[in-house]
Amino acid sequence: MNALISSPAPHIHSGASGQRIMLDVILALLPVSIASVILFGLNALWVLVSCILGAVVSEFLFNLIAKKKQTIGDLSAVVTGLLLGLNLSTNVPLWQCVIGSAFSIVVVKCLFGGLGHNFANPAITGRVFMLLAFSSVAGGAMPVMVDAVSSATPLEQIAAGVTELPSLLDMFLGIRGGAVGETCILALLLGYVYLVCRKVISWYVPAIFVGSVFVLFLAFTGDFTIALYEILGGGLFLGAIFMATDYVTTPLNNRGKMVFALGCGIITFVIRHFFSYPEGVSFSILFMNILSPLVETWTAKKPLGGVKR
Amino acid sequence: MIFKRKLSNLELPHDKATTNVASVPIAPPSEVLLPMTMHSGSPAEPVVNVGDHVCIGQLIAREEGRNSSPVHATISGTVTAIEPYGNAKAIRIQSDGKMEVSPDVRPPEVHDLDSFLASVRESGIVGLGGAAFPVWAKLDAVRRGPVKTVLINGAECEPYLTGDNRTMVEHSDLIVKGIDLLKTYLKSEKFIIGIEKNKPEAIAHLTEVFSNDPAVEVLPLDCTYPQGAKQMLLYNATGKVVEAGQRLASLEVIIINVTSLAKVAKFMETGMPLVDRCVTVDGSAVKEPKNLVVPVGTSVGYILEQAGGLKEEAGKIVMGGPMMGHTVTDLKEPIVKATGGILAFNEKDAKVLEPTACIHCGRCVNACPMGLNPVAFSKAMEMEDDEARFELLTREQVKVCIECGACSYVCPAHRQLVKHNIDGKGFLRKYQAAK
Repeated sequence: MNALISSPAPHIHSGASGQRIMLDVILALLPVSIASVILFGLNALWVLVSCILGAVVSEFLFNLIAKKKQTIGDLSAVVTGLLLGLNLSTNVPLWQCVIGSAFSIVVVKCLFGGLGHNFANPAITGRVFMLLAFSSVAGGAMPVMVDAVSSATPLEQIAAGVTELPSLLDMFLGIRGGAVGETCILALLLGYVYLVCRKVISWYVPAIFVGSVFVLFLAFTGDFTIALYEILGGGLFLGAIFMATDYVTTPLNNRGKMVFALGCGIITFVIRHFFSYPEGVSFSILFMNILSPLVETWTAKKPLGGVKR
Repeated sequence: MIFKRKLSNLELPHDKATTNVASVPIAPPSEVLLPMTMHSGSPAEPVVNVGDHVCIGQLIAREEGRNSSPVHATISGTVTAIEPYGNAKAIRIQSDGKMEVSPDVRPPEVHDLDSFLASVRESGIVGLGGAAFPVWAKLDAVRRGPVKTVLINGAECEPYLTGDNRTMVEHSDLIVKGIDLLKTYLKSEKFIIGIEKNKPEAIAHLTEVFSNDPAVEVLPLDCTYPQGAKQMLLYNATGKVVEAGQRLASLEVIIINVTSLAKVAKFMETGMPLVDRCVTVDGSAVKEPKNLVVPVGTSVGYILEQAGGLKEEAGKIVMGGPMMGHTVTDLKEPIVKATGGILAFNEKDAKVLEPTACIHCGRCVNACPMGLNPVAFSKAMEMEDDEARFELLTREQVKVCIECGACSYVCPAHRQLVKHNIDGKGFLRKYQAAK
């Protein structure tokens, strides 16, 4: 008989693993990744591939140089690269994609101590970095099937007072200008349903985020159609489903997650409605990432039979 | 109450293969080892010497110090050693093969509260659900204030274990008698028997047994772990919570494990102290899962043998339930009064998962029935500065942790969160003692 194992309780486990969660996120991003290639052509594929490669290779090299345990197997670099790629348009040169994803991984994640220690979402911070560094990142490209002169996104058009917007159905299916992964709401919702069913994310975080943007636009503009365009346009669904639900950079407890989502919604609305910038999702999530530890403290519940923290 | 806070929504696989397996006594072992620390209070003190002949039910160690409990011989034979065991001692008895019952074993004379409590004290009965708190000390609450409600814990929320279920199905007569005793001597008015819904036979049987007794309510409970924990059962049965600085007794409530209550009734009937108990033998490496009635102090190895042996090599053997039990590395280790199960897991199930970085997913926070933040304790235990660690552990109230294991169970990073909590409590004790 071999030596019996001695280990602390419990002796059974749910079977959940970080790797499986990351795999679930990748699977949930598959519909929108496929949609992006259908809508924006093979160029979209190259954007996604170069972002994923940039992320994975830079993490691999960082671990190698820093003599750390190799972590690319946890798939989180793939998720970061894929998310960043989906947030970019086909206008972005591939070398910029690689630099942006390397920034996301090395500066935002690895230098803070790796997975679980970054205070801000790497993909979002990477996108914001690229927005400041490269002019190609702002705005979006047009889907291949659209024969349009202007490549302005619907939100830019609304901001500029243009009245000939794509139909709401086109907005839902993704036939409009934008980043490759943000336009096809249908595909994003498929991913949402999958993640909720797999219990990877809480259903209410994206719902509160999108819902609050909708309600605020409705209240301030009184225009139902504009409010609909506002939630379907830009990166709202992509951000709300896949980035405002990032574990590392959002509060631990459910109440905190709700406050986080509401905060994102309000800030997105404020940026879009009162500022000249037509997008606000990335900035709102980034801002709430920074507030996340505070939100977590404010919303911690009193332990059963304990005292208020 | 219209809106009830849900304390836990963690559903575990039940794996209760022995739910319908009647308990059977095993062939007596040739030797038992009886630790003096089979209860949660101070160790008992041996009153026999090496070489003494003892019979079943004979007192071999008396209660000593705070919340202590006596120990009785569980087989007849000769005391062969009084040896060190952990921080205390243990008495080893070699069987004479006769299983002779001591002449001291006769029904106690009970006529009022004092004599009732005194005899419960002599019975050596402790909380058999796992906590092993002496039952007399629990019932003693009645001297300081009324005990209006008695919660009888038949939740048995640990997977695999079915001993309490067997008590409820096989020995409902003892539960009736136990309740009568508490009605008579503790003057309790309300009895709630909480049973998880995965035990429909026990629920149906007890509901029928108590159908004419308005004082007794059989309460089916959701199968959410840890339903059998004090605060869970209390809240789900009465809507009350033991707040900080309060005691359960100050709510005029006590909670007693259903098998402990049956043992008290049995003792009043026969005078036989706690010398044996039902142990569930199960797990992936066990040939045939069984419920065995085993003398306390019998070795794990002998029990596994009596259960029919293993069908494959065991990688890990657990004493108790899979959520809160501890691993056994020496098959000679004896079962104690509170051991509800012996689980042998094959090598695949025994594998200890490698911890990875916390991804802050919050599953432990959602799983914690006490509303704690296990991530913070884990973080505190990684801190180098004692002062900062003390502060974080205190602020996050690690002391509230009931060590149920829900956080570790759900953690996708496979971190040993409960262990950090237990270590954290140990650190607080030491740190405060040093100050």
